[in-house]
Amino acid sequence: MSILNIAILITAALLILTGLYMLINTHNMIKIIIAIEIVVKAVTLILAFAGYVTGQYAVVEAFIITMIVIEVVVAVVAAGIAVNVYKNKGNMDVSELKKLKG
Amino acid sequence: MPAYFATSMYAFMGAPLLVILVLTLAGRKLAEKWALTVGYIVGIIQMLTSIIAIILLWQYNKASITFSQFWSIQANDGAAYFSADVFSLIALFCIGMVTFAAFYTAKTMIGKKAFQFTNLMMVMILGMNGLALVTDLFSLYVFLEITGVSSYVLISINRDNKGLEGGFKYLIMSAIASAFILVSLALIFINTGSLRYEDISAISSSWMELSNPILILVAFVFLICGFSIKSGLVPFHGWLPDAYQSAPAPVSIMLGGIVTKMVGVYAIIRIVSNLLVESDTVVNTCFMVLALMSIIYGAVAAAGQKDFKRLLGYSSISQIGYIILGVSTGNILGYIGAIFHFFNHATFKTTLFVNSAAVEQQTGLSDITKMGGLHKQMPITGTSNIIAFLSAVGIPPLAGFWSKLFIIIAVWQTNGAIIASIALVASIFTAVYFLRIQKNIFFGPVNEKFADIKEAVKGFKLTEIALSVITIGCGLLFPVLLLLLQAQGIV
Repeated sequence: MSILNIAILITAALLILTGLYMLINTHNMIKIIIAIEIVVKAVTLILAFAGYVTGQYAVVEAFIITMIVIEVVVAVVAAGIAVNVYKNKGNMDVSELKKLKG
Repeated sequence: MPAYFATSMYAFMGAPLLVILVLTLAGRKLAEKWALTVGYIVGIIQMLTSIIAIILLWQYNKASITFSQFWSIQANDGAAYFSADVFSLIALFCIGMVTFAAFYTAKTMIGKKAFQFTNLMMVMILGMNGLALVTDLFSLYVFLEITGVSSYVLISINRDNKGLEGGFKYLIMSAIASAFILVSLALIFINTGSLRYEDISAISSSWMELSNPILILVAFVFLICGFSIKSGLVPFHGWLPDAYQSAPAPVSIMLGGIVTKMVGVYAIIRIVSNLLVESDTVVNTCFMVLALMSIIYGAVAAAGQKDFKRLLGYSSISQIGYIILGVSTGNILGYIGAIFHFFNHATFKTTLFVNSAAVEQQTGLSDITKMGGLHKQMPITGTSNIIAFLSAVGIPPLAGFWSKLFIIIAVWQTNGAIIASIALVASIFTAVYFLRIQKNIFFGPVNEKFADIKEAVKGFKLTEIALSVITIGCGLLFPVLLLLLQAQGIV
């Protein structure tokens, strides 16, 4: 493995860790959605890297485009839920989402 | 093999799409009137098609049938295609059964949202049917997300605080799981250059000799984490009871009955049987530890719950643990037990969720400590509840007994007596929390407040009776199936 390959993988790993750290440390729903998108961007990078290593650019291009479409749908649904929470409660604080308990 | 056989397979992907198209074109008023009826007809069609397909596969002595929806398999080599074997047809039958139950009981529960509800449910059914039929990992991910997106919207369809909270928790956990699964797919792709099931099975036997064994190991870790989140295994279970509790009744029937099992357990069984061969003891041990933790934690946590649906959520965690335990043994007996427990869990958990919906509709409560003595007023619900929970506990001759027996024998053969006896003892805990439900809701002294309530409406009664008949019938007919398997030399 060349240094470039290792650098790409380390970058992706750092991006995933950044996203997860942000996810744990924030209470704002919009920020949580952004954190998830950061993780997904790291995944996109790894997929593109997989295409570069194996030389199958066309297949990976199709994968990435499909994935981007799906992630947009997920982000829109998440934003829709956040907007409805804001309408009901007046804020987007997830630490107040504690109604469901055993 | 007749040509109409492959054509009939189009029903699985075509029927939900057609329903969405017709309902959208029919106009709001007409669609709202007929939506739920069309929904359970789709469920019936799916059940009949899968039974006929299983019989035909048996008759023509074939292992599977391959087909594609809108393109020809022969035309371009390497194109994605669908394939149905007996396990995917059993899963498709379960989807049809739970769909029928959800739509048949939805009439009084869903109210004015029938049109949106039916369309979203059809997207969900499309996603799950796709999951059962795909033959490569990336298509699996796509259908996973289709199922997921529609279930987030369905959980929060009423836009109340509870539903939004449950939906958001599920969405976040599920999005992380999907990201993990995609990372592992990319790492597997680096090593194989393909994501088809048959190409992937090549790396499993010899992954230590590959150029990057570390990457494959990382891929396995991400894969196990991702699918454990999706199927709600301990310690990744946080979202599951919340989502089950907050969803509207027909949606929680669907979620508890089939969705979690399709997106998590079915995918794990497929991947473990294709990607990881039996000799791969590291992955199998990981799944075994997760399964044992789920079995014990789910049973103990369920014993302390007050909300009926939340209790059933914890019970699902425990029962899914049994299915994964069967898979983790890696031998054929364990697989058969896991697949049969998959079917049984769909049957009895759907019955229990229908019962919880019936009780909630009649009393307006879901807190089990505030009820009591409902058996006199609701005899059919009470009796079907007894049958379902006895099947879950594993009392002969009900269907749940046979599948648990198979799983525990398989565990005993591969992992020794200690783990098998842990699974067996945890099964007694299942009896503890189900007896608690039965005593608090249906037996015991009659609560004055509920003196004048009646049996649930017709839709509930019919679904409860049909599902109980399936549970008892499968239990009584299982020895026949056992003889058939023995004749084939499988067991």
